[in-house]
Amino acid sequence: MKDNNIISVRGLKKSFKKLEVLKGIDLDIKKGEKIAIIGPSGCGKSTFLRCLNCMEDPSGGSIYFDGVDIADQRVDINVHREHIGMVFQQFNLFNNKTIIENIMLAPVSLKLKKLRRAKVKNALRKFVNIFRKNKKELISVLQTKAEIVEEARETAVALLTRIGLLDKADVYPSTLSGGQKQRVAIVRALAMNPHVILFDEPTSALDPEMVGEVLDLIKEVAGEGMTMVIVTHEMGFAREVASRVLFMDNGIIAEEGTPKDIFDNPKNPRTIQFLKAVL
Amino acid sequence: MEELKIFFDKFITAGGYKTALSGLLVTAEIAIGGLIIGILLGTVIAVVKVMPKYKALPRVLDAICNVYVAIFRGTPMVVQLLIGYFVLFPALGIPIDGVIVAIVIFGLNSAAYVSEMMRSGIQSVDIGQLEAARALGMPYGMAMLKIVIPQSIKNILPTLGNEFIVLVKDTSVVSFIAVVDITKAFKAIGDATYEYIVPYLFLALVYLVLVMGITLLVRLMERRLKKSERQ
Repeated sequence: MKDNNIISVRGLKKSFKKLEVLKGIDLDIKKGEKIAIIGPSGCGKSTFLRCLNCMEDPSGGSIYFDGVDIADQRVDINVHREHIGMVFQQFNLFNNKTIIENIMLAPVSLKLKKLRRAKVKNALRKFVNIFRKNKKELISVLQTKAEIVEEARETAVALLTRIGLLDKADVYPSTLSGGQKQRVAIVRALAMNPHVILFDEPTSALDPEMVGEVLDLIKEVAGEGMTMVIVTHEMGFAREVASRVLFMDNGIIAEEGTPKDIFDNPKNPRTIQFLKAVL
Repeated sequence: MEELKIFFDKFITAGGYKTALSGLLVTAEIAIGGLIIGILLGTVIAVVKVMPKYKALPRVLDAICNVYVAIFRGTPMVVQLLIGYFVLFPALGIPIDGVIVAIVIFGLNSAAYVSEMMRSGIQSVDIGQLEAARALGMPYGMAMLKIVIPQSIKNILPTLGNEFIVLVKDTSVVSFIAVVDITKAFKAIGDATYEYIVPYLFLALVYLVLVMGITLLVRLMERRLKKSERQ
């Protein structure tokens, strides 16, 4: 896509069986923007977020991510998901992996898979080149297996040090508190060097005293210029961090604007009603 | 005591223990080989069953798997062995070795049962685990292999141990296709002396010890896999 939109959503629709949850959403997200999505439960905000990385397949419309329509079924979604981080309400750390393995698993497995593919292709090309006049070039293999693992380990250690959980590197997720789990989940997403991170109610499953540590980390990441889309019920947090707030109601974006516009001077009667109820 | 003496004459002095030992080996080969095939194929079938079914290919595979499970769960093991040994393998022109036929048939049969266990195991793993893996860009197969299946195996290990025990005991029917397993070996000793009490009681003891060994092994594995749970 032209200009500096990371994500452009056009006419996005999603239905579950006969129930239409999203009724045509248009949205442009620029690089570095922090978008907070608020709204009553059942308004489709989580569904919208989950459509952005095709966790739910959209029923209609397009989602351009880095210029490619990822709503198109023919696109290999996995390639693009590597650049779209996601943080879940229920943390979803891998229970059968230690904390450091949780962070390293995806970067290592995906790079190793590419490495294996490249090696197989190169072997084929080498063989075919014997019979070819114009030799085909081999794919350059930049890293060995050991280097890939080492690099991922260094990243993981740096990230764990940053959130102060390096001493938990070799324990399993079940021994961590909710706040610790969610912080690990956030750095697990960061380890992939994503272009954007989607947060699906990141603090809703936490005990109240742990909400702060998670929000602090999100703010910190936001401060580094990461593009974010956050579905949240924390109005104070949305006001503080977001550069733009969307109020969703009944499957559409009912109102959008700066936090100041939405929270201090809402225009849509539904927004006014909602904010009155939650604030 | 007369019976004991007759048995030990045949078993030790006349070298009957050699047949018994090679029979034990055959029993182990068939049970372990069958279990390995069963787990691998059963896992594949289970994954096909839980796959999202938007596209045509998973639906066709699912139908094939359903027929497969229906056939192998719906007919007796002995019948499958007989068909395999006397009909299928000769028809395919494969030189017949009873033990190979038995391993294959036991594997195929076990896969039908393991697939159902594995399916319930996969479904017992929180969907969020798969979603988190997919959200990181892992393809479906990789996410299943690295995250979901290891956790589901942990959940179904006791039932899987059960399946192995059943498999070990079921191998006692392979003499139908002229394979000399441990049961056949002890029957031969009895047949040679017309004295059945001691050989058959001893045979039962051997199976009992085998099964108890497996039970112990499964328990040890369970404890090892439990390490990821809260201490």
